[in-house]
Amino acid sequence: MPGTPAETPAVLAARDALAALRRQQAFAAADEAALDGLIAVRPPARTPRPDPVWDDAPVLVHEVVGERYRRLVLRTATIATTALAGQFLMITVPPKGGERILLPRPMAIHRRHPEQGTVEVIYGVAGRGTTALADVVVGESLLVTGPLGRGFEFPDAALPTATPSAGPGPQPARTALMIGRGVGVCAIMGSVEDAADQGISATVVLSGRSRANLIGLADCAELGATVIPVTDDDGSSALPALGERLRARFAATPPDVILVCGAGVLARLAAELGSEWDVPVQVSLEAHMACGLGYCHGCAAPVATDPAVEGPLVCVDGPVFDAVLPLTAAAGGANAAG
Amino acid sequence: MTIAPPRTPTDARSAFFDARPADSAAVDLSVRIGSLTLANPVMPASGCFGPSLGRLIPVTELGAVVTKTVFGTPRGGNAAHRLTEIRAGMVNSVGIPSRGADGYLAGQHPLYLTLGVPVIVSVGGHRSSEYAPVVRDLRGAGDAYELNVSCPNLDRHGTDIGSDPDAIEKVVRLVRQETDKPLIVKLPVLVSSIADCARAAEAAGADAVCVANSVPALPLTADTRSPVLGNVIGGLSGPNIRPIVLRLVWLASRAVQIPVIACGGIETTDDALDYFSVGARAVQVGTASFGRPYAMVEIARALQERCLAAEVADIGRLIEIWRA
Repeated sequence: MPGTPAETPAVLAARDALAALRRQQAFAAADEAALDGLIAVRPPARTPRPDPVWDDAPVLVHEVVGERYRRLVLRTATIATTALAGQFLMITVPPKGGERILLPRPMAIHRRHPEQGTVEVIYGVAGRGTTALADVVVGESLLVTGPLGRGFEFPDAALPTATPSAGPGPQPARTALMIGRGVGVCAIMGSVEDAADQGISATVVLSGRSRANLIGLADCAELGATVIPVTDDDGSSALPALGERLRARFAATPPDVILVCGAGVLARLAAELGSEWDVPVQVSLEAHMACGLGYCHGCAAPVATDPAVEGPLVCVDGPVFDAVLPLTAAAGGANAAG
Repeated sequence: MTIAPPRTPTDARSAFFDARPADSAAVDLSVRIGSLTLANPVMPASGCFGPSLGRLIPVTELGAVVTKTVFGTPRGGNAAHRLTEIRAGMVNSVGIPSRGADGYLAGQHPLYLTLGVPVIVSVGGHRSSEYAPVVRDLRGAGDAYELNVSCPNLDRHGTDIGSDPDAIEKVVRLVRQETDKPLIVKLPVLVSSIADCARAAEAAGADAVCVANSVPALPLTADTRSPVLGNVIGGLSGPNIRPIVLRLVWLASRAVQIPVIACGGIETTDDALDYFSVGARAVQVGTASFGRPYAMVEIARALQERCLAAEVADIGRLIEIWRA
């Protein structure tokens, strides 16, 4: 009861913390539930996966980005020249200030700079591992393993054909819609690079809490991608608003593929749009991992399978999966989303 | 031996492959497990190795590799989350997904055969009678078998095979009827007498015991105090179990004549030497390989270097020097 002697500042603070936790739990549960029935393993890739290596990668840049994130530039020539869009690294956190982190942390490769032999990684400081990682300074080296996993791949329909005039076939389609939220933007940025290289027109939704916390604005500008920035503080990132905005924008000509990462609810929105437009949707997932190579079997993907058969693993069967709206949801998807 | 030569000289993995030391005639790191001789005493812990790791490290510098546990019939594994890190340890509840013996023979075993080192096949069962049929179904595949009677992530309905010397004896006796190959019994941490368990394995014809599996544990989330793992409980591994397992290895080594293979939080050469100094004859490395894929090979190399530096022929004499 407000005003009673028991209402000390400490009690009030604890109550606020509890309420915040409840909101966070509710959000996390909804985000996880949004992936239900959505995830399917992608068919075999056209491009063979590069062999992973491990490397002692010197830290060339380690800087704060926005209010919540940090950007690492790592020199690791082999990985920079071989990594495919949407692949990830396992980064081993060196011992710092008495803290020892045992398991490497999976992180998406945000940018590849093969000419400089460098890659960029952006991460949020969230737990023990990333807190210790934040203490690494320029000049130190990080043990990195990669490139790992199944990345994003433009479907044939989104690839410009080599000889567009040959035959009366369908007009080669050349547009992609990418949707990223928070550090999830990093997983899709390699595809923005690929789109720039391959002449595919990229429209990139960058979602975050506020403008200052949007990742990828400068990258998209450099790569010539069209950006749709959306944020929580002005309400533009809210699902119905974003959905209507994208439906209006692509009403005449839908994109040829949708790539998404960073939130389960965005993956579901992408799957709904994909269903309405009849275009494929690929989603990159996160998971707790130990090895990143498949041998520890620690990162079961959220795919319902026969209990006697092991389901797909996020590290080797993903992190990129197809996102396909379940049939029942697809039937009412357009209405439900509106 | 099919490990591809490094593609480019510009990464640390390539440099590590290139730094392979010459085998020294002056040092003998070999260890015998029954009829099988391993070139050195370093191998991965079951579940912490797969052929995919073989692409990152020179596996031929290991004494052997150990497979993930193979069950007779397919198992799907446990629900997510399957692992989490705590201070100085990790807890996993992977639950041993397995394609069964046939699936292993068709899928994984051919890949293991390309590695160029002895393959120890880990074998599991839900009850003591299930191990021998798996070994039979493996039809001679593998150079030795490690009988996993101690996984903390399997629901045995209250019957823990590895903590019951009679059950251990039964498992080994039944498997021994199926194969002449070396048998290793992987024992649990939570037993009333590790000596009795090791003696039961030895008496039934085992050629070595592995001490020990991960420690049953229950990690909770920091915020909601709810279980982190989909299976609620898991197995704790990593450096924080090392002193616990050191004691067990010390006790087991005094109880049996067969080799004791130590497994518990080994990260460095000094950790391995700790175990050798309490009686272990070989070591398995698990959790450390996740953060440093090359940890096992580094230890194998350093054991030879330490012996060379001390001008002794083997690890036994290296340990005697410190005690002189």
